[in-house]
Amino acid sequence: MSAIGAVLLLAAFLSVIQPAGWAQRPSRDDVQAAYLYNFGKFVRWPSADRGTIVVCVAGEDPFGKTVARLVDGEEIEGRPLAERNVDSPNGVEGCSILYVGAAVQGREDSYLAAAAGKPILTVGEGPQFLEQGGMIQFLLVGDHVRFSVNLEALNRNRVAVSSELLKVAVTVTGNAGIGGPK
Amino acid sequence: MWMNVIVSAIVLVLAVLAFFFYDAISFRQDLIRNLRTSAQIVGTNTITALMFDDQQSAEMTLEALSSSPDVVAASLVTNDGTTFAEYERSTSAPVPRPREMDAGKIDEDWVTGSQVLLAHRIVFQGKPVGTVYIAAQLTETGRRERQYLVIAFGVLLICMAAGVLISATARRLVARPLIALAETARRVSRERDYSVRADPHPDGDEVAVLVEAFNEMLVQIQERDTALNRGREELETRVEERTAALRAANRELEAFSYMVAHDLRGPLDAMQGMIYLLETIEQDGGGRDRAALLEQMRQGMLGMTSLIDDLLHLSRASTAPLKKERVSLTGIVKGIADDLKRGAKERRVEFMIAQVPAVEADEGLMRVALDNLLRNAWKYTSRHDTACIEFGAINRRGETLYYVRDDGAGFDPRLSDQIFQPFHRLHSRSEFPGTGIGLATVQRILTRHGGRIWAEGGVEKGATFWFTLGSTTAA
Repeated sequence: MSAIGAVLLLAAFLSVIQPAGWAQRPSRDDVQAAYLYNFGKFVRWPSADRGTIVVCVAGEDPFGKTVARLVDGEEIEGRPLAERNVDSPNGVEGCSILYVGAAVQGREDSYLAAAAGKPILTVGEGPQFLEQGGMIQFLLVGDHVRFSVNLEALNRNRVAVSSELLKVAVTVTGNAGIGGPK
Repeated sequence: MWMNVIVSAIVLVLAVLAFFFYDAISFRQDLIRNLRTSAQIVGTNTITALMFDDQQSAEMTLEALSSSPDVVAASLVTNDGTTFAEYERSTSAPVPRPREMDAGKIDEDWVTGSQVLLAHRIVFQGKPVGTVYIAAQLTETGRRERQYLVIAFGVLLICMAAGVLISATARRLVARPLIALAETARRVSRERDYSVRADPHPDGDEVAVLVEAFNEMLVQIQERDTALNRGREELETRVEERTAALRAANRELEAFSYMVAHDLRGPLDAMQGMIYLLETIEQDGGGRDRAALLEQMRQGMLGMTSLIDDLLHLSRASTAPLKKERVSLTGIVKGIADDLKRGAKERRVEFMIAQVPAVEADEGLMRVALDNLLRNAWKYTSRHDTACIEFGAINRRGETLYYVRDDGAGFDPRLSDQIFQPFHRLHSRSEFPGTGIGLATVQRILTRHGGRIWAEGGVEKGATFWFTLGSTTAA
C-alpha cells in the first residue's frame, strides 16, 4: 500500500515541474514556466493584495499557454493563480508577475516603463534585461535554467523577495549586491 | 562476610548494566534527534536550491554537516528520485543508497548496528520539494559506551574494595565487640556466675560505654545475688534458731507438765490425805498428831508456794524487759551473803567476795541469778561442818568470767549439762531440797544478757559455776 501511495505521490508532485503524463526531460519552456510560478512563492506582495495572482505574458507568446497550463488550479498562500496575455504595455495594470520574453523583443523597455512603480515582478529572457531595469533574468548555465537578480530594480519598485531566492541566483546586482558571479 | 560482598557486587553490576543500557539507548536517541534537527535545517536551507536547480548552493549547505562528527555522508534527492547533491566526509565512506520512505511520513530513520540512516522529506508550502538523507556512524557512541563501561567497572571495583574495607572496619569496631558482649551475657545467664565481667573496650566510643554500663549492671546483679544468698542464709539460721527455741520451749512444757503432775499434784494429794486424817484424828481426839499433821500440811503448802515463786521467777527471767543500769555484783553478793548468815547463824561459812567492777545489767534479774547461785552453794555445803563460798571474776582472753564456788557436795561432772535444764534434779529431795528450776532461771537470765553459764565440779569436790555477761561491761 505504501509503495503504491509513494508512486502516486511522486507522480502528483512531478506534475509541478512536468505536465501530467510527461515522462521525459522537461523543456526549457516548462522549466521557465515552473520557475515563474515558483518565484511567486518567494515574493511578498503588498498585504492589501488578496486577490488572484495574475501571471502576465507580454505579447502573443505561446509561452503563455505553457504557463496557463501550469498555474491552472494552483494557489499560493490561498490566492489562486491566473494567466493573461498582455498585448500592450498599457495592459500591465493588475499584473502580479510580468514575463517579457522573445515575443516582444526590442520593446522590453516600454513594458518595463509601464510596470515601473507598480508592485509587479518583472521577469525576462533578454541578455540586457537586468540593465534595462528588469528584476529577474533567465540564464542558461550548461543545460540548466538559472537566473540572475537585479536587487536595485526590486527595491525601486518595492517588490520584496526572499533572500532564499537570492541565494540561488547566479548573480545579484544592485545596491545591496550580495554574492557575485559564482 | 563474603556472601555480603558477592551480593553487593552482583547488585552493583546489575545497576551499572541497567544504567549503561539506558545511557546507551538515550544517547543514541539524542544523536538521532540531533541528526533530525540537522536534516531539517539542511532541508529548509536547500528548498530554493532544489526548486531552482542550484546544485552548488545545495552542496554548500550539505558541507555544513561536516561539523557533526558522527555524520558520514548526506545526500539531497529530488522528488523523482535523482540525487541532486551529495556530501561525504571521506572518500572511503560510501554514500548510502536512499531508501524509500513511508508515504505520509516526514521523518524516518533506520538503525543497523552502529549505522543510522535518517530521511527527512522537505516540504514547502504544503508541497514536497525533495528529501534529504543523512548517514551517521555511531562511533562516538561506541567510544562513549566503552569509556562508560571502563569507568563503571572501575567504580565497581572501588565500591567493592570500599565495601570490604567498611565491612571489616564495622565488624572490628562494632560487630565483634557486640558479639563478645552478647557472649558474656549469655555466659552469665547460663552459668549464673555474676562475678564475670565483659572485657573493657579500648576506644572511648559508644561500644565502650555500652560495655561499661553492662559491667556496672553485673556489679549490681552480683550484689543483689550476694544479698539474696545472705538473706536466705540468715533466714535459715533464724529458722533454725526459732526451731531450736521451739524445741526448747516444748521440752520445758513437757518438763513443766511433769512437774505439775508430780511436784504440785503430789503435795496436793498429800494434803488431801492429811485433811482426811485430821478429820479422823478429830474424832479420836489426838491433839499432838493433829499438830504434826497441820505442820506437815503447812510445809507442803510452803513447798508449793516456793515452787510457784520459782516458776514465776523463771517466767519473769524469760519475758520481763531488761532494764540495764550500772549494777555492783559485789554489792548484791554481799547482801545475799549477809541474809544467808543471818538466817542460819549456827553455820560456819566463810564468804570470800572479791570486788568486781560494776556492769551494765538488769539489777533485779542479776539479784535473782546470784541469789539462786549462792543459795545453791549454801544448800550444798550444808552437810559439811565448815564451808567456803567464793565469788569473784577473772579475765581470760579479753572476757570477764565471774564465778561462784563452793566446796560442798558437788555433782557428777558428766551431768554438767543437765543441771541447767528445768526440773532436772540431780539429787533427790530428801538429800537436798529444791525445785530444780533455779539454775534454769539463772541460765535464762544470763542468756538474755548475752552471756553464758557452765559448771565444773566433782562428787564431794564442790562446784564452781562460771558465767559471763556477754560484752556488757560498764564504761
